[in-house]
Amino acid sequence: MSKVVATLTDEVAPETRATAAQAADAEGSAARRILGSTGLRILAGVVLLAIWQFGVTLFAPAYIATPLNTVKRIPAVFADPAFGADVQTTLLAIIEGLAIAVVIGTLVGLVMGRLPDVNRVLGMYVGTFYAMPLIAVVPLLTVWFGYTPEARLAMVVLEAVLPIVYNVAEGARLVPTNFLDVTKIHHAPWWRVWGGVVLPNALPYVLAGLDLAIGRALIGAVVAEFVTAIPGLGYYLLFNVRSFHENEAMVALLVLVAFALVLRALINLAISRGFRWYRPA
Amino acid sequence: MTTQVITRHRLRVWAGYVGGVVLGAAAWQIIGMQTSSQTFVPVTATLSRLGQLIGDGTLPAALWTSFQSYLVGMAIALVLGAFVGLLLARRRLLRTAFEPYVVALYATPMVGLIPFLLALLGFGFWSKVVVIVLFAFFPVLLNTQRGAQSISPELLDVARCYRSSEWDVWRHVIVPYTLPFLMTGVRQSLARGLVGMIASDYFLSSDGLGSLLITASERFDTAEMLAVTLTITVIGLILMAIGRLAESYFARWRVGG
Repeated sequence: MSKVVATLTDEVAPETRATAAQAADAEGSAARRILGSTGLRILAGVVLLAIWQFGVTLFAPAYIATPLNTVKRIPAVFADPAFGADVQTTLLAIIEGLAIAVVIGTLVGLVMGRLPDVNRVLGMYVGTFYAMPLIAVVPLLTVWFGYTPEARLAMVVLEAVLPIVYNVAEGARLVPTNFLDVTKIHHAPWWRVWGGVVLPNALPYVLAGLDLAIGRALIGAVVAEFVTAIPGLGYYLLFNVRSFHENEAMVALLVLVAFALVLRALINLAISRGFRWYRPA
Repeated sequence: MTTQVITRHRLRVWAGYVGGVVLGAAAWQIIGMQTSSQTFVPVTATLSRLGQLIGDGTLPAALWTSFQSYLVGMAIALVLGAFVGLLLARRRLLRTAFEPYVVALYATPMVGLIPFLLALLGFGFWSKVVVIVLFAFFPVLLNTQRGAQSISPELLDVARCYRSSEWDVWRHVIVPYTLPFLMTGVRQSLARGLVGMIASDYFLSSDGLGSLLITASERFDTAEMLAVTLTITVIGLILMAIGRLAESYFARWRVGG
C-alpha cells in the first residue's frame, strides 16, 4: 500500500513544487536520500571488509591477505619497478590484443551480418567457440608459440574477437533498410555502401562487443600467464601468493580490476555520448 | 508457392550447416596433413586418439572427476544466486547497500582468485567447487534480481487484496514470475561454470580434463590435446542446448524483457 502512495506522490510532485521554499525542501530531501544511500554503501563496505579482516586474523594463517595489510603494502608495491614493468607488459598486451580483435572482429562481423550464406557457415563456428571454455586451448597455444608473450597475445585475441564478431554481425544485420534503399536509388558503389552506411551503423555494436571482450581478455591473459609463467601482472600475482606475499598479490588483483572497470566505463561513456541512437538489444 | 519457398529456405539453412561442418573438417584435415604432427594433426588422427582415450578409460575418468565438481558447484551457485538475488530484489535496504560490491565482484577476473584459494584451501575437490561457484554465481544472482525487481506492484497488490499470506505471495507470484529470468541466468552460468571447471582443473588438481590437457602439452601430444578440446567443445554445445531449452520452456510465461 505504501508503495502505491509513494508512486502517487512522485507523480504529483512537480505541480506541488510551487514555491521556492518547497523546491528547496524537495532538493534537501533528495540530497539527504542520496547521502543516506552513500552512507549505507560505505557502511556495507566497512562491514564486508571487517568480516574479511577479522575472519582472517581469527581463523586463518598469518600469511593470508587482509584488507588492512593490503592497503599498507600499496605504496611499497607501487614503488617497486618490477611491479611497474609487469603492469605495463600485461596491460599493453591486453590493449594490443583488443586492438587486433577489434579489427578482425569488425571485418568478419560486417561480412557475416550482411551476407546470410557466410553467416550460416561462420555463425556456427562463432556459436561453438562461444559455448566452449576457450581457455582450454591455452596448452595448445603453448605448443604453437612456446612459453612466450605471443601465446598470451594469441589467447587475448581469441577471447576478445568472439563477442566483437557476434555484436558487429548483429549491428550490420540491423542496418535500417531505408538507408540501404537510398544507396540503391543513387547507385552508390559497394565501398560507399559498406563504408558509409553499414560500418557507421555497426560502430556502437563494435564498442558494445569490446565492452564484453574486456572481461574475457583479462581472463585469457591471466590464465596464459599462469600456465606459461611469462612475466606480467598475472605471474606477479601467482609468484607472490606462492612465496607467501599475499597482500602484494592482492594489490596486483586490484590493479587488474581497476583497469577493467576504467576501460569499460570509458567505452560505455563513448557509447552513450557518441551514439545516442544506439539501443542495445 | 509459399511452401516451396519455405522448403527451399530450409534446405538452404541445412545446406549451410552441413556445408559448414564439411568445410571445417576438410580444412582441418588438409592443414593437419600439411603440418608436422607436433603442431597440428588431421581430424582422422584426432578421432582415432579420441577412441584410444575413451577405450583405455582415461577420458571417462577425467570427465567424471571434472563433472563431479562442476555439478556440485553449479547446484550451489544456482541455489545461492537465486536466494541472494531474491533477497536483494525484495529488500531495498540490502540492495542499496550491497549493489556496488556485487557489480565490482562481477567485474573481478575470478581466475585471479585461484592462487589465493589454493593457498587457503589447498588442492582438491572443494577448492575446485568454490572456483566454479565463483564463476557461475553472479549471472544467476543478477538475472534473478532483475526479474524479481520487475514484478509489477499491481500483481502484489492484488495478491494482498485477496489476503494472500506471505508464503502464498512467494509461491504464486514472486517465484513463478522470476523463474524465466532465473533460467536466463542459468544459461549464462552453465558456460561460465565450464570456464571455471577448466581453470580449476589446470591449477587446483592433478586430474580432470584440464590436467589432461596440461600433461598432453608437456608431452607435445597435439593429437590428445585436440581430442580433449573436441570433447570439451561438444560438452559446451550440449550444455548450451540444455540451457536454451530450459530458457525457452520457462520463457512461455515470461513477462517483459
